[in-house]
Amino acid sequence: MQGFALYPFDPPGDIAALRADLRGWLTVNQPQDDVVARANCWASFDAGFSRALGAAGYVGMTLPARYGGGDRHLLERYVVIEELLAAGAPVGAHWIADRQTGPLILRYGSEAQRERYLPGIAKGELYACIGLSEPGAGSDLAAVRTTARETAEGWRINGQKIWTTGAHFSHIMLALVRTEEESERNAGLSQVLIDLDTPGITIRPIIDMAGHHDFNEVFFDDVLVPHGALVGERGQGWKQVTAELGLERSGPERYLSSHALLAALIDAAGPDPDPAVASLIGELTAEMWTLRQLSMSTAAKLAAGEDPMVEASVVKELGNAFEQDMPRRVQAIVDCAWEGSDDLARLLRALLIASPSFSLRGGTREIIRGIIARGLGLR
Amino acid sequence: MSASRDMLCDTARAVFAEAAAKGVAPVEEAGFGSLLVPEDQGGFGGDWCDANEVLQIAGVIVPELPVAEVIASEALQPAAMVSLMAGAMGQALALSIEHVNMRQQFGRPLGKFQAVQQSLAVMACEVRAVEAAAAALAVRLDVANLDPSVVGFEIAAAKLRANRAVGVVTSIAHQVHGAIGFTEEYDLHRVTIPLMRWRGTHGNDAHWAQILGRQVAGFGGRGLWEVMTARGA
Ligand SMILES: Cc1cc2nc3c(=O)[nH]c(=O)nc-3n(C[C@H](O)[C@H](O)[C@H](O)COP(=O)(O)OP(=O)(O)OC[C@H]3O[C@@H](n4cnc5c(N)ncnc54)[C@H](O)[C@@H]3O)c2cc1C
Repeated sequence: MQGFALYPFDPPGDIAALRADLRGWLTVNQPQDDVVARANCWASFDAGFSRALGAAGYVGMTLPARYGGGDRHLLERYVVIEELLAAGAPVGAHWIADRQTGPLILRYGSEAQRERYLPGIAKGELYACIGLSEPGAGSDLAAVRTTARETAEGWRINGQKIWTTGAHFSHIMLALVRTEEESERNAGLSQVLIDLDTPGITIRPIIDMAGHHDFNEVFFDDVLVPHGALVGERGQGWKQVTAELGLERSGPERYLSSHALLAALIDAAGPDPDPAVASLIGELTAEMWTLRQLSMSTAAKLAAGEDPMVEASVVKELGNAFEQDMPRRVQAIVDCAWEGSDDLARLLRALLIASPSFSLRGGTREIIRGIIARGLGLR
Repeated sequence: MSASRDMLCDTARAVFAEAAAKGVAPVEEAGFGSLLVPEDQGGFGGDWCDANEVLQIAGVIVPELPVAEVIASEALQPAAMVSLMAGAMGQALALSIEHVNMRQQFGRPLGKFQAVQQSLAVMACEVRAVEAAAAALAVRLDVANLDPSVVGFEIAAAKLRANRAVGVVTSIAHQVHGAIGFTEEYDLHRVTIPLMRWRGTHGNDAHWAQILGRQVAGFGGRGLWEVMTARGA
């Protein structure tokens, strides 16, 4: 891996105005609900907010106008999502569709698929989920066993996905399935777009340790989807998924999920904090500032058409560590009761409980470190 | 990188190699003292992005010489130190990778063991973070025409981040090297000892954490985000 070269983050257009407009829009349109919903806000579902955001042009920004998109630059979208995350806006409903499914359909999908799905995605009304993990295929994703067999009427899908975030409210799933009989490992896999109201699909909730229903089990029992449901090239699913994960790993959500806690800590500390608290605020700020530089540079590299696989993994690794560390360090020095009802106590409890998932979702810490080690030439 | 910066870096490598044997005199004679002096005042007319590259090279080749003092004013020493640290950390990583690819135990290179790979991945993240901090600070300093009083936030954040990387970087580098890395003969200590020293020079963690923390407390929770975004991109 070469030394780090900072990619200049210079989006076209008036970025200060873009930020100011969005901030103004948020003061009117962001629901003033619970502060806890503002942490980990890319898991907060709010259909009305997503629709309003889409109508204001802040969803599907990089999609072409002919599919209802905004024809905007990748880095303009970056600015918008970092603002949404820093404000703790409830972007969970459309998050996956906007971040990865839409761009993937644009890149690999057929014209019919683009026309069918992209306008809804750009409106912030059509939600998507990611069907990768299975009971026997976690870190070892190439062990996927769900099959799609080609028949005269279309593809027949059998098998099971698990940990599927948002399957219960999503309209479509982009699933990785085995299309080639007898195929092994990462050969013979393809991506299919499945309308989740197709007969034969059963979605069961899995309640997480915070008591929330975010992820699910999804069963496919002889589910028939049209021939046109295949995305991209048959048998190239592995390559396409790898590209998709690049989009998934480097975004500002990898260090801004817990921003509400840092903000609450600063507010609770007041303008003249005691030295220990000032010190913690200083250290967290230094880390966050650095992560923002890394994340922006990675986004700029992606926008320049290069593949920042290793950089994206560095952002995810450092971002996850930062976000898991933050609530622990806050708890270590700030006196607040576990059952406390003030903002800081409630955020702290919520993030302590949510944080183990940060280094699991989107690739575990060990898998991410393995990717970095490969970039170092060790594997 | 621009062609003139490439040339500057080549010159720096050659001059620092000579200085490694002779002391700082060749650095002064080669005119690095006027790197940041404007052209119309007879200087090289370089910016801090140039200085960042040159200082990173100094951190690799001559970490024990006062190159930063030759190039930059007293007020810019903490910023210069971040670049030196980025360079020295990059070298510690390069030496570590080279070593684990070569040294064999249990019938294979150490680098084939997953535990070693994971350690070096952790180290690489820290090194990349400090390189990013140095590069971002450089851009910011150039926008501010090298006026350190306007860039207090970034200097504090970057030096603090670099300080905090020192422990991880030096300990993993030494761990994967084994005993050979603990010898006077082997080159690793030439970068790790300066890194240990630099953590406490021009502001240790507590120093910068207090300054930055108090500044941010003044911004308020929402204010931090507003300030950060107003100060770049
Ligand atoms: C909140 C959350 C949301 C998620 N959302 C989705 C989703 O929407 N869609 C989806 O498809 N999946 C989703 N996932 C699943 C996620 O991708 C998997 O949890 C992840 O890939 C790990 O798989 P696993 O849980 O089976 O753990 P395992 O693979 O069983 O791993 C368990 C532990 O062993 C370690 N390990 C495994 N293999 C190795 C190895 N070779 N070397 C060293 N260590 C190893 C892992 O790093 C981990 O620490 C979600 C998970 C979470 C927690």
